[in-house]
Amino acid sequence: MKENTANRSLWKRITSRSEFSIFVGLVVLCVLMSFLSERFKNNEIFVPEMLVAAKAMKRGVEVLKPHLAAGEVGAMGKMIIGTVAGDLHDIGKNLVAMMIESAGFEVIDLGVDVPHEKFVQAVRENPDVKIVGLSALLTTTMPALRDAVALLNQQDFRKDIKVMVGGAPITAAFAEEIGADAYTPDAASAAQRAKELVG
Amino acid sequence: MGKTYRERLIDTLNHRDPGQVVVDLGSTSITGININALVKLRKGLGLEEITPVMDEPLQLLGRVDEDLRQAVDAGVIGVNNGYTIFGYKNRDWKEWTLHNGLKMLVSEEFRTSTDERGNTYIYAQGNTNYPPAGKMPKDGFFFDNITRSHATAEDEDLNAREDYKDDFKVFSDEELRFIQDDVNNIYENTGYGMIYNGALCGIGDFALVPGPHVSDPKGIRDLQEFMMVHHLDPDYIHEIYEMQLEVALKNAELLYQAVGNKIQAVYISGTDFGLQRGPYMALEAFQEFYKPVYAKINGWIHDHTEWKTFFHSCGSIVTFLKDFHECGIDILNPVQTTAAGMDARMLKEQWGDKFTFWGGGINTQQTLPFGTPEECYNEAMERLEIFAPGGGFVFNTVHNIQGQTPMENMLAMFQAVKDYNAKIAK
Repeated sequence: MKENTANRSLWKRITSRSEFSIFVGLVVLCVLMSFLSERFKNNEIFVPEMLVAAKAMKRGVEVLKPHLAAGEVGAMGKMIIGTVAGDLHDIGKNLVAMMIESAGFEVIDLGVDVPHEKFVQAVRENPDVKIVGLSALLTTTMPALRDAVALLNQQDFRKDIKVMVGGAPITAAFAEEIGADAYTPDAASAAQRAKELVG
Repeated sequence: MGKTYRERLIDTLNHRDPGQVVVDLGSTSITGININALVKLRKGLGLEEITPVMDEPLQLLGRVDEDLRQAVDAGVIGVNNGYTIFGYKNRDWKEWTLHNGLKMLVSEEFRTSTDERGNTYIYAQGNTNYPPAGKMPKDGFFFDNITRSHATAEDEDLNAREDYKDDFKVFSDEELRFIQDDVNNIYENTGYGMIYNGALCGIGDFALVPGPHVSDPKGIRDLQEFMMVHHLDPDYIHEIYEMQLEVALKNAELLYQAVGNKIQAVYISGTDFGLQRGPYMALEAFQEFYKPVYAKINGWIHDHTEWKTFFHSCGSIVTFLKDFHECGIDILNPVQTTAAGMDARMLKEQWGDKFTFWGGGINTQQTLPFGTPEECYNEAMERLEIFAPGGGFVFNTVHNIQGQTPMENMLAMFQAVKDYNAKIAK
């Protein structure tokens, strides 16, 4: 009886702390996004719903972030993402960034039309980065994707990072051919694959 | 004496055997050919070397002239009000050189600038007093829209009718006369079929949401925000589409007054509802926001004209086909058979009596640009054999022929069409 009273008291002390509420909030957000990601992958919900969900997730994290210890957001690691040079399309890339952020990564988004050198520079400025993600929507920018990955492959930091590629014209075969570590066909799979790559 | 192209088009759109497959090259902005590919095709066909005209600036499409039309046996011509997607008029051609050295003729009102990275910018209405409306990266083959208004669904000063008031215009008398003169000329002097190719009611078309034809667009123009506002402020979307429909109905009426039934089809909407692996929106969203609007414009057209309604939607849209049919869509384009579920045979067997397939002739994502000529020939022949019997098919590639497509592949594809028509000739 004494032990139960002690346990209940301990539980009360834990759950009354604000950090616990914040932690639960973060977990709930991540679980919900994971649930939605699965439904998105199965074509049960669609791009507009995912964008709204990702917006809500981002807002939720912004509320929680100031209350969390440094390093608790992005605990899975850091990822750099961008659309390659010559390509201005970003909706898919943005969805991937949102999903991977929801999966617990800190994402640095370089935007669109990113010169190859900028990917390299971003890694040098963030030596703790674990994944670099490159997106190309057009068949005409696949060569740019090839060249950007080739440049990354030449760097001394290459063994410390994983390179993920994606986009409408990209295939697993092409990803392997150009020396990338991973390819995924959609945003939901990208988040899962990112976790596997750093796991 | 054989049927004219126009007669064959009428037959095929009414699901009667046209005798010979109708071919389209260049009658619309989604059944055309990038100007780089057009030059190669002309050369491969042994046509006179000319400075080609680029009359569709977003995708850098080349104008298909009469000699090329004859060479590929194309039978449809597009007509419009003379204005391009960037809001300027095609007139008074001047020379312009693409980054790769290709010289072309563009409208006097085509205005561009270039930055230090080699990016080219284009200006809405040719007006350089406003920020550019489109950007073509260095070594690119077309322009992309630039988002020039960053309003979001949470902004308090959103006003759909105010924000979009410059986007939708009723035809002016001058434009109607232009259309009428063009249609009468083609109708009286040729046997070509005609399609009005300026989308009459392109609600939610991602190419138009950013307002490429508007010098200073307001309101929600970012595509992601536009998608989200369907959920976050649905009245905003409803109001835009209501306004757009009002103008579309008026323009349909005016167009009919100008040209009657001399045209056979009218391009209504180019809104893409599909992605590679499935629809991009829920069917329920289509039914709430889009279907009622399409039903009204298509309904007016079917009640008052003999026109067929042409709809463009890229991607996997199989789950939308029942609703498309219910709201009066007659023609489907581009028939993206590489998208999930869009099997050519299934489409013809299950939907061939309900839709005309205007496209689907060859895979433009892999086969045409990257395959061998033999693969191109075989695939085009296979598609003809699936889609053509009994009418309801206009041969065209799945969307525009892209700039890097090899000459030999295009020639092989058109040879397949020629051989198929020779085979079925009575």
